Amino acid sequence: MDGSQNISTITRTGAQWLLQALEAEGCDLLFGYPGGAIMPVYDALVDSPIKHILVRHEQGAALAADGYARASGKVGVCLATSGPGATNLLTGIANAYLDSVPMVAITGQVQTHVMGTDAFQEVDVFGMSLPVVKHSYIVRRAEDVYATVREAFAIARSGRPGPVLIDLPKDVAIASAQAREPRYPTGKPNTGEPEALMRARALIAKSTRPLLYVGGGVGMANAEWALRSLMRSTGLPAVYTLKGLGAVEPDAPFNLGMLGMHGNPAANHAVQECDLLIVAGARFDDRATGKLSTFAPNARVLHLDIDAAEIGKLRAADVGLSGKLGEQLPALAQPLNISAWQQRCREMKTRHAERYDAPGDGVFAPALLKQLSEAGGNRLIVASDVGQHQMWVAQHWRVTRTAAHLSSGGLGTMGFGLPAAIGAQLAKPDASVICVSGDGSIMMNIQELATLRRYGIPVKIVLLDNSCLGMVRQWQELFFAERYSEVDLSDNPDFAELARAFGIPAFTVERRDQVADAITRLLSDEGPLLCHVKIDPRANVWPLVPPGKSNAEMMGCAA
Amino acid sequence: MSQRLHIELDHIEGALLRVLGTVERRGFALLELSAGKPDAESYALQLTLEGARDAEVLCRQLERLVDVRAVRLLPELLLSESEPSFHATWLKS
Repeated sequence: MDGSQNISTITRTGAQWLLQALEAEGCDLLFGYPGGAIMPVYDALVDSPIKHILVRHEQGAALAADGYARASGKVGVCLATSGPGATNLLTGIANAYLDSVPMVAITGQVQTHVMGTDAFQEVDVFGMSLPVVKHSYIVRRAEDVYATVREAFAIARSGRPGPVLIDLPKDVAIASAQAREPRYPTGKPNTGEPEALMRARALIAKSTRPLLYVGGGVGMANAEWALRSLMRSTGLPAVYTLKGLGAVEPDAPFNLGMLGMHGNPAANHAVQECDLLIVAGARFDDRATGKLSTFAPNARVLHLDIDAAEIGKLRAADVGLSGKLGEQLPALAQPLNISAWQQRCREMKTRHAERYDAPGDGVFAPALLKQLSEAGGNRLIVASDVGQHQMWVAQHWRVTRTAAHLSSGGLGTMGFGLPAAIGAQLAKPDASVICVSGDGSIMMNIQELATLRRYGIPVKIVLLDNSCLGMVRQWQELFFAERYSEVDLSDNPDFAELARAFGIPAFTVERRDQVADAITRLLSDEGPLLCHVKIDPRANVWPLVPPGKSNAEMMGCAA
Repeated sequence: MSQRLHIELDHIEGALLRVLGTVERRGFALLELSAGKPDAESYALQLTLEGARDAEVLCRQLERLVDVRAVRLLPELLLSESEPSFHATWLKS
């Protein structure tokens, strides 16, 4: 059945209506884990064409749904039971919320007549999730299930995307009813002023040092083409956030790199020197801005965002435009006379080009990542975990499109990488999906190796193992007087042996001269594979803006 | 600095929690709350808030909630025109 059929003449159980609605939304895959309160849905799944991926922890389900959504642009769906199943989803839901990822999370709930009595496996997930969802529902009547799911999808993917929670009591899932039609939310009026676009164009025309500050909103709006076209026609230089990686062509002449705490110095210096910041789908996150009061001190601000609530939240905008970037960016194009500024940007870019000539014969992780991404080319999707390796990926991986770089930006969720890679691989079966993880992060969701094995999902894992929690260790070294506290992981298991125990082929790389063969194998093996790479525990991520400092005060780079 | 907001929201489960949670998480203290008597579909709130952040940004953060229909930042002159039919007040301790 699809959405065009007359649903009001058919009687089904709430669980069946839920799956019918998912089908009508084009959902062919969901990630989940069964349990008591969600059993009616799992019973209905037996008769459904929707494929269910059994993860080994509910957090893995939410993060896999997140990776599926980021790689495909579709709504990711995850499913869990009540109580601990629901609470285990929460980190993944929060991850999606902070990175504006479209997701529908479905939780079983105890029967309605015992809700509020502290029943077995009862938890108020509706209340617990309120700060980290775009919207949420408790469905109390079977006739509302179908419409609620359809409405949830519409909300999850509209405007600024985000996660929507549906809490489904067991008796509602069991009860039979005819379904009501969905009532889709009406759009709210645009708060932009009619003449704002003209003022935006005038700001650009008057500027002698304009700079694009590109965020994740560009990719999520499918506005990469519009951004690239604007850059080509105007010669505007650009910097971007972690989530904006891939929006700007990697070889564009005025691609100055990622800004912020571990950004390229050329990007950070350009922000400090510009006289107009054109903010496209970015939100002045503290990891991007450093000390906010010193960020872009000489710049006027033109802020473009689908979400009007972001405009003026952290930095006042001289002109704010709330709307679709795919329409706004082309409207800004105009001839510019900024050759002196372009020359300055060119000089900074040359001066701060990355170097890969690290001494020694140990594996230099930045070089490995650069070589792997260049060898794999456009077919690669990289899902990064969180920590030093995440920043090395951001700095050194050649990202050609936003949907090819999956990273937990807002929440910084260790354990994101492996389940996100699983979701991405299932969304894009023809892509080569690489999970870059660390020895801390991989252990947060190591159980999902069993999911790789069960379904033969050909994700390749590059595990950069420095036997410690590297990013925390780096901060303790630099900002806590080398007082190392609970960062030693030198008693890690043998990760290659561990992978093999899960049925995943694995090998270990310890020297630089082994890297080329490792890359060849990573790009040619058919099934899942873990490449365990031992790196120097003392390696740090450079450059670095110390916490609370201005982006002009970077450590570990040329002046 | 105190601000007064008039908010119209859907009369559905969780709408009030969502509004009040947003207000407090975004850095505003609730000084006074008045609620109009709900009809089948909607009801109105008036909030008096205190906070150092921009109340106009808070209005936009509230407007983006799915179950919020409208938000107005009230000029002082309009306060008496918007008295709700049902009144409950909590003073900040």
